[in-house]
Amino acid sequence: MDNKLHSKNAAQFKRRRLVSHLLWVYTLLLLLATVTLGTFVVAFVASIKDDALHEPNNINIPQLHPSNWFSAATLGHSGGASYLFGGFKPEGDITFRVTYATTNDNILTEPVIEIPRRKPGSGMASIAYPHFAADYANVSSIKLITTDENVDYVQTLGIKKLVRKGKSATWEFTIQYSDYGPDIKHIPLDITTPRHQVLIDSTIPPNRFERRGRVASWSNISPGLVGYIFKSYARVWNESVSLDTGESLFWSWTVNSFFIAVMKMILTVLIACAGGFALARMQFAGSRVIFVALVVSMAVPMQVSFISNYEVFNSLGLLNTPWAVVGLLVASAQVLIMKQFFESFPRELEEAAVVDGASPPAILWHVFMPLAKPAIASVAILAFQGTWNDFFWPLVVLTTPPEAYTLPVGLLSLRNSYGVAGDWNLILAGSFLSTVPVLIIFIVFQRYFVGNNVNSAVKG
Amino acid sequence: MTLSSSFKHNAFGWLLISPFALSLVLFFLYALLRTIAYSFTQYDLFNAPQWVGLRNYVDLFTDPLFFRALINTFAFSLIVTLVQTSLALLLAVALNAEIKAKGFFRTVYYVPSIMSSAAVTLIFVWVYQKNGFLNQLLSNVFSHQVILIAFTICFVTSQITLVIMGRKRHQNVKWADPFYALISLLVASSLTLFLTTSGLVEKQETEVIVSWLGTREVIGPLPLTLWAIVIQNIFTTVPTLMLLFLAGLQGISDDLYESATVDGANKWQQLWHITVPQLAPVTFVVITMGIIGTLQMFDQVALLGGGVPLESRITLAFYVYHYAFPDGTSPQIGVASAAALVLGAITLVLVFLQKKLGVKEQGNG
Repeated sequence: MDNKLHSKNAAQFKRRRLVSHLLWVYTLLLLLATVTLGTFVVAFVASIKDDALHEPNNINIPQLHPSNWFSAATLGHSGGASYLFGGFKPEGDITFRVTYATTNDNILTEPVIEIPRRKPGSGMASIAYPHFAADYANVSSIKLITTDENVDYVQTLGIKKLVRKGKSATWEFTIQYSDYGPDIKHIPLDITTPRHQVLIDSTIPPNRFERRGRVASWSNISPGLVGYIFKSYARVWNESVSLDTGESLFWSWTVNSFFIAVMKMILTVLIACAGGFALARMQFAGSRVIFVALVVSMAVPMQVSFISNYEVFNSLGLLNTPWAVVGLLVASAQVLIMKQFFESFPRELEEAAVVDGASPPAILWHVFMPLAKPAIASVAILAFQGTWNDFFWPLVVLTTPPEAYTLPVGLLSLRNSYGVAGDWNLILAGSFLSTVPVLIIFIVFQRYFVGNNVNSAVKG
Repeated sequence: MTLSSSFKHNAFGWLLISPFALSLVLFFLYALLRTIAYSFTQYDLFNAPQWVGLRNYVDLFTDPLFFRALINTFAFSLIVTLVQTSLALLLAVALNAEIKAKGFFRTVYYVPSIMSSAAVTLIFVWVYQKNGFLNQLLSNVFSHQVILIAFTICFVTSQITLVIMGRKRHQNVKWADPFYALISLLVASSLTLFLTTSGLVEKQETEVIVSWLGTREVIGPLPLTLWAIVIQNIFTTVPTLMLLFLAGLQGISDDLYESATVDGANKWQQLWHITVPQLAPVTFVVITMGIIGTLQMFDQVALLGGGVPLESRITLAFYVYHYAFPDGTSPQIGVASAAALVLGAITLVLVFLQKKLGVKEQGNG
């Protein structure tokens, strides 16, 4: 009837579809992002919890409450003179408060304080922490601070939560470093009360309850901010110690991984540039054969060549040294990437230089490589990341001592020593910790990752 | 070109290629020849190899563990390559639109592929524990299954009704019309909310306890343990592969689709006759890399740990390592070499077949 109205309707119809379509696309993108990152986020939260496995997966955990962060930092400062890492040092002096509640027909009894001789974890912990806080701590007598005759509190019995009415009392005590002695990393604490008495508040929440709720147990009441939130991470670092030197193994693995990845990155770039240039720009006798061998070598699995390579490095006496990992340099993919990049350069580029009498290596160094910086950056970063994450070859050539491992091989040894005990906090923490360097490099150099993966993959 | 300048040219060429050529000869060609030689011997890395002819190969093909490894490797490779490629392609097609915040999404999707397989595997071993994250998630989903089914029924019914009504009004709407789908989403959400609050549909506590890792159960072609690794692999690769496809998609000219629309081709025909062939170069690389990568799968099963039965996690790559560096006993390099060569041959044959019969490098339909 009315053409104008009709076309207006049609335009509106079309726009609605477009907007809705975009909405769906974003929803799907976000959903995929949630699925992709979600698992890692949940695993990360699990790694900072008290027990990674035996608690429901939610984010309402004490380690994520800012009020606890504040207390942890303050306690760490008064105990070990460090807001971040806490500990227990001479002149350390901690004041700790607990509030207990019970029903009106019960009597509130004074809690019993004990600093147990307890190591903070399984496995290597016995070597990592030779001193006990119990031997150096003076616990003051316990003081009643306030009472409250009318409180509501929650008692947890198994999975049931009961809301109760009753009375409460708050006590305070101090823990002082007795005299002079070593720096200690943890002050564990156990507080025992009758079963009807419920802990409703404390300077920082306990890590677990034992003996059917009668004992509230803390792993460390002087944790510091980092020591509180990243307890398992600190444990990975401190507990993976070498039996000979007492140094942190995780630190050795990180150093090894860095050294190997950087060395391999530099060598790969040089080999890839030289090889790529020769294959792209110099049709020398035999270049065809090398190219065919390159392509085949990319499809042949590592398992075919590793026995001979193992013997080569064995006869050179390089097993269990970083050089065994660095030395295995077959940079086929990287040579291919550089070859393809150099082929895209115009011919005129080297002709002028050739007239000037420059040799091919000089042309490569002074003309081609400066122009190929983006491709070189990609090759470098991918080489670094690939080496950092490599597992099979380091596992073959780095067997003993544990100081020689790279991070992925070290992770396997963590998994073997802590997996049986079910200490998943530690394994998860180790996994995330080993990822941090590549993650930083990825975020900083993101465009080289992304650009190259797409291009090289499509062309390669 | 004079003789001497050609000589010089060759000399410089060889000079530049020599580091690469040397490593290729030493670590690849020489190693390959030695492995072939070892496969006919009995050798433990310490005493001199003894020639045994074809015995290692006979042993290999009479070893049930080797057959398990062979089947596991084949099935794992085919399933992962097929699923990850098609899933990534479908997602890319669904997400191919001009969007903002590309950088953010790209970063997120890359995260699983930049992490080491060691770290990712350990995280997934935690996910797969009996009281782990996956079983909790599944328990949650199954507890809400009635609600989810009710929601789906509401959504589908509403969408069908809306589309039929729209078509009666002579609107040219498709079954998956995005605007009506939004309305259906609203309708279904509020209906489900009503149904649950009024108690007509209720959550039923269900507990899923699947033993993903420490089991000998075999489902279809693969042990359950390896299905878990299949899920892990697909999970970590799909977002990255999707980005590759997305980059490829954005390079396809719109003219192709416009002329196809003029010719009356529907969306599925366009996907099959334009998108898929145009993406052939990307697909070729994705499939080839997928085959090569999955056939060598080792890290994941090595990190599962000794608690998992060997036959539930054995792959050819792990079989080779298991015989070359066994725990406690002396190495059997001969058997390991023979198995490695079988793995190498399978890889080359599959890559060759894919190049000849599968997706072509040049997109010509």
